[in-house]
Amino acid sequence: MTLTVIKPGLQTTIQGAPFSGHRHLGMPAAGAADCLSLILANHLVGNTPDAIALEITLDDAKFTVDQISSLALTGAASFLRLNGEDMPLHATIEAAPGDEIHIGPAKKGCRSYLALAGDIEAQSLLGGRSTYMGAALGGYHGRALQAGDIIKWKTATPSKQLVRQTPENLIPIQSDQYIIRVMVGPEFADLPIDQQECFFAEKHKVGRRSNRMGLNLTGLSLKSGDKQPMQSAPVFPGTIQCPPDGEPFLLGPDAQTTGGYPRIAQAIRADRHLIGQLRPGADMQFVKVTNDRATAIYRQKLLLLTPWLGAISLW
Amino acid sequence: MASATIRGHNIWREVVPGLDSIAVQFDPARLTPSEAINLLQQQLQNPQVAAAAPFKPATIPICYDSELAPDGDYIAEKMGLSSAALKIWHASQEFTVTMLGFMPGFAYLQCPESVTAIGRLSKPRQKVAAGSIGIIGNQSCIYSFSSPGGWPIIGRTPARLFDPERPQPALLAANQIVSFRVIGRAEFDHIAQDPSA
Repeated sequence: MTLTVIKPGLQTTIQGAPFSGHRHLGMPAAGAADCLSLILANHLVGNTPDAIALEITLDDAKFTVDQISSLALTGAASFLRLNGEDMPLHATIEAAPGDEIHIGPAKKGCRSYLALAGDIEAQSLLGGRSTYMGAALGGYHGRALQAGDIIKWKTATPSKQLVRQTPENLIPIQSDQYIIRVMVGPEFADLPIDQQECFFAEKHKVGRRSNRMGLNLTGLSLKSGDKQPMQSAPVFPGTIQCPPDGEPFLLGPDAQTTGGYPRIAQAIRADRHLIGQLRPGADMQFVKVTNDRATAIYRQKLLLLTPWLGAISLW
Repeated sequence: MASATIRGHNIWREVVPGLDSIAVQFDPARLTPSEAINLLQQQLQNPQVAAAAPFKPATIPICYDSELAPDGDYIAEKMGLSSAALKIWHASQEFTVTMLGFMPGFAYLQCPESVTAIGRLSKPRQKVAAGSIGIIGNQSCIYSFSSPGGWPIIGRTPARLFDPERPQPALLAANQIVSFRVIGRAEFDHIAQDPSA
């Protein structure tokens, strides 16, 4: 079976589980920027939670399929239309051969996930199939999709037709204002005390120089102390670094593996999926939690999700 | 070395060394942060897993052709050497890989000899070619993929620093000794066409 790209939008890539176990070689995580929306989409079509799907960014996008297909859309899209007819998000949808699948632009939030029941063909490397554009690896030739690209996929053995709808209380709310909980980072204490307070008290705005690698945060310029420059050290998706110009940046799924700027905070695992929905102009605030509280929040979140999604993990 | 030993424990999803630090990533559904800290401290104290054999010294071809070494003259001037003397000096050094990071297979190298501080370019390049070898003083690097970058470039290797299809995807590893073998432009072009040859 095939899916043909008519209009790819700003940046559409194949993304699923992140790469794991290769950061010491410099290989980033990649994978879905909003893992929760990916998992919700996969569940609606009966796929494994971290199966690969299409990650669509901000803009609208159009596709068509050549066979009867079961699919689902989650995330920030303002609508889903089949041949111009509105269909619900967060529900299993059936598309017929030649149908135009139109995914609306994001009004709030940033990314949407289109899951197809079955198995999308993608480059399989280092135990993963997500796209890492920085090294042109994985996914569809390691790059974002272009008009005319044809993606092959195999449908699951047709069991009884699955029709699901995400329970209302589990549908993430798209917003332009986010609170992300963080643990303080190894170099947080190097900030002067008033700057430490400022980092949590003030609102940050997501800047224009934002992509899957990282988001620049504007609105407040932190004055760093007169500490010696640090040695390059490990960083992860969700790490917040503060370069000498004082404008912090928040690392995304494609973040480099090491960095030389002070690591002032780390977004907690339970909230990291929100990073995938931050768009330029969005407001955000950081709230400090302890390491133990971060673990408790994560475990509570899994307890809330497992009745619907089964055993999952977030990244 | 500690990181290779700790990596043998499958409780860690990632074990990432920095220049003077180490980070581990774990699943907080399985371990609490304090359990993870205790475990890591134990592992650092009594390594249970045999350390991986150190990698053999590597020799990497390098071409100093001026087209592939846009900052050759700048580096020579900073170091107070002629361009010819710079090449001879560079090719005679043994570097140590301090770590991989930044991009897949990107290697940070340390020169044991004390080198004049050269510093980064005042304006980073939008695009540094894959294989470019940078030097800022005692620290050098090899770009594994084309990317923006600010290190002055002394030469370029046609070797592939990272190939996910290889059993060991990264060409180099932390603590490995690296020296350079000088090649001419014709050999560079030949190897660059088929890095497996």
